Amino acid sequence: MSTVLLQQAINGIVLGSLYVLVALGLTLIYGVLVQINFAHADVVTIGAFAAYFFTFNFGGNYLVSIAVALIVGAALGWLVNAAIFAPLRERSNELLPLIATIGVSILLQNVMLLWFGPIPYAFDSPYSNQVIRLGGGTFITGQNIIIVVVSTLTIALLYVFMKFTFAGKALRAVAQDRETAGLMGINPNHLIMLTFVIASALAGMGGAMLGPILVLTPFAGTTVIVKAFAIVIIGGFGNVEGTIIAGLFVGLIESYTTQLVNPGLVDIVVFSLLLVMLAFRPTGLIAEKREENV
Amino acid sequence: MSSADHLPSAASYQRKATHRRWWLIISVIVIAILPNVLQDSYWRTNLIVCALNVMLAIGLDFILGYAGQLNLGHSAFYGIGAYVSTLLIIKLGVPFWPAFLCGILLSGTAGMALSIFAVRLRGHYLAIASLGFAVIVHQVLVNWISLTQGPLGIYGIKPPPAIALPGLPAVSFGDSANMFYLVAGFALLFYILLDRLVRSPIGETLTAIREDEVSAASLGINCTAWKVFAFGIGSAVAGAAGAFYASFVGTLVPDAFIITESFTILAMVIVGGIGTLIGPVWGAILLTVLPEVLRGFGDFRLVFYGVALTLAVLFMPGGMMQAAQVIRAQFAFLRSKLGAEGTQ
Amino acid sequence: MRSAAISPAEVKALDAPGEVLFRGHGLNKSFGGVHAVRDISLSISQGEVFAIIGPNGAGKSTLLNLMSGHYQPDSGAMSFGGADLVGLPAHKRVRLGLARTFQKIRLFNRLSVLDNVLAGFHVHHDLSVWQYVAQGAAFRRNHASCVEQARALLSFVDLEPRADVTAASLAYGERRMLELARALATSPRLLMVDEPAAGLNSAEVEKLLDRVARLRARGMTIVIVEHNMDLVMQVADRVFVMDYGQYLFDGTPSEVQSSPAVIAAYLGM
Repeated sequence: MSTVLLQQAINGIVLGSLYVLVALGLTLIYGVLVQINFAHADVVTIGAFAAYFFTFNFGGNYLVSIAVALIVGAALGWLVNAAIFAPLRERSNELLPLIATIGVSILLQNVMLLWFGPIPYAFDSPYSNQVIRLGGGTFITGQNIIIVVVSTLTIALLYVFMKFTFAGKALRAVAQDRETAGLMGINPNHLIMLTFVIASALAGMGGAMLGPILVLTPFAGTTVIVKAFAIVIIGGFGNVEGTIIAGLFVGLIESYTTQLVNPGLVDIVVFSLLLVMLAFRPTGLIAEKREENV
Repeated sequence: MSSADHLPSAASYQRKATHRRWWLIISVIVIAILPNVLQDSYWRTNLIVCALNVMLAIGLDFILGYAGQLNLGHSAFYGIGAYVSTLLIIKLGVPFWPAFLCGILLSGTAGMALSIFAVRLRGHYLAIASLGFAVIVHQVLVNWISLTQGPLGIYGIKPPPAIALPGLPAVSFGDSANMFYLVAGFALLFYILLDRLVRSPIGETLTAIREDEVSAASLGINCTAWKVFAFGIGSAVAGAAGAFYASFVGTLVPDAFIITESFTILAMVIVGGIGTLIGPVWGAILLTVLPEVLRGFGDFRLVFYGVALTLAVLFMPGGMMQAAQVIRAQFAFLRSKLGAEGTQ
Repeated sequence: MRSAAISPAEVKALDAPGEVLFRGHGLNKSFGGVHAVRDISLSISQGEVFAIIGPNGAGKSTLLNLMSGHYQPDSGAMSFGGADLVGLPAHKRVRLGLARTFQKIRLFNRLSVLDNVLAGFHVHHDLSVWQYVAQGAAFRRNHASCVEQARALLSFVDLEPRADVTAASLAYGERRMLELARALATSPRLLMVDEPAAGLNSAEVEKLLDRVARLRARGMTIVIVEHNMDLVMQVADRVFVMDYGQYLFDGTPSEVQSSPAVIAAYLGM
């Protein structure tokens, strides 16, 4: 029995780290822009497809395809920001950009549908079938190891970037107070663009690694994105550490629910948790409650 | 919006009311004529879907455009109305109209519950909460197989029972023309009801809440109560649409109510013109009919939704209503220019 | 329909002048680490102009927010006309007769000037919901009377000619006055004004003081939060001085002006 529990813990961490990659992008964008980007889901999907085509149509190395997906994701992020968020920044309505990203998301999904068709693509990475035994009767596939390693490295790099480099600190400054940061000689627009590029690069990578796990259709991203939203809220919008913890937490919950309860109930459990969080601590696990300044 | 009604002259108030009466008469005539103009079942189906979408769009506009609540889970109320009424009919033998009423009540209640839950949440949080709610509802419909038969769906749902008016032949709703009259009739009824609400102090209250809640509270407005009210009404209308949907299509599957459906309804509201009530009617009609007309170009319907929504938000956030105003202003400008030149 | 809303043209003293209308005792409010209001007690009498002053950051606006119900106190008691206020949300206090304006002007920018004022009459409507839908004769009469009263209020602040203009297009001074008119539409017994003179030029300040004096002459109780001492001295009956969230001094304007503690607090900034 404990083998099962341990195995699910491992699976949960693998899944969780992928969720963290996707959710981090969302939380970074929210932190800096106070906006939700619904098209984030489709960056994940496009990243997955990019990796697929690079590996199978182009004959490239799977690991390199992750890098390709990263670049594709980054480019998409640049595009979405330039086309949607930058022009809308002047308008005071805070919900319009969100709705615009919904429009972009619908657009991208259905263009992909026309292009790639609704039939799932079988994305088997060469590492999916390598099985390595760990202690206690558990095992892990090569693919999962790659996921954990790549995710951890990326998150660690991101963390270092945010805490120690100038750009990273500037980013946090813009997240806290855009006007003042601007007065300090930081160009908020450039930093917002940088945030988008980083966020979407992460999403693209996530997609490349999710491809072999998920059912790869044009809608693959949406299955992940709503969960990513849940994670971002549980962890706290804009809160990087919170998102990491929440992502792993949700991954664990998902894998335990799948194994021990019923795979069909996973979404219900995760989203009920989300609603519970929103009821009691909408600002997230770690952040503090703030009364609106009147 | 409503300040035009406050012009001192009673004459202009009368004029607007007369305008509205004429539009009402025209709508009734158009509804009566349409099924006779479009006789094939394909187009009649589209007409009925159109009417359903109108109901969904005006319900969402009431919540989103008037109370300012970003509800991304409208598909859930659609689904609740459909499943509740259908299950009552099939499992408990409840007649159609009481089941219809129950569907409305339950989806309205669900809307109020969600709203009470979300009352302290600001814009983005409410959006995600409503999305999460919609996912939960969909997943429950999929997984509670003993109740809903899950993805296999419920088959053989009958249309509403024929109505026998004294002295006239029975009106059967298996006939698509009659079904259209029924659905469109209700859509018109709901529109009139919402329009009345919007033009009353209730509408002004909701507008105040939408513009600035803190301000509204400082004027004695109980923002929570009104937001719950708006959500309840909007979701109840969606529930009615759901009940009609089930009895019209005859088959009920959970995937008819996935969250993408919420987004398409949102597109209709935005493209039509948020917060105008009549705008979403046009938006629903446009986004239902046009993709069918363009069917020759392949499965472009949803791409069209995406493009329309994105472009609307970027360039014309007031939707078709704003576009109409711009055009009207242009005409007025041209007319005045021509008039000036004419007198020279 | 209940009794019609009382227009400012005929504000009646509902309580005998001089009776205590508002009572606050031991009020405390903290935000995170900041103890914005510390153990404040005050009482405001019917018909007086009560000024709350203090250097920046003294906690004046926070106190006002506690009184109006936009914040709830961490501890302490409050009552208005005998009714207990603690736990009562802001919108319910308006029904009791507590109205306010905001330091950062909050108008319904996309509505017209008239609509902004009309919004203030809702609190005293008492038509049934059915009337709103059917919109019969009673509804129309009520509406017409509200419009009339709204125009009277707009005349009071010299904004009547601009009634149909969008609120967003008014000049700053006019927006202040509109906010005042809107607050008056709720027929308050006690009106709280938060830093009303901020951003106004001297002519506008004169007009503001004049209106306050006129309201006072009609028997309205007014609470003004200001950090500009000179302004307040002209119009206040009693002055309550705060510093660092705490009570410093209270008395008549001349007493306050000559109090060494108050002078030290202001000079010390």
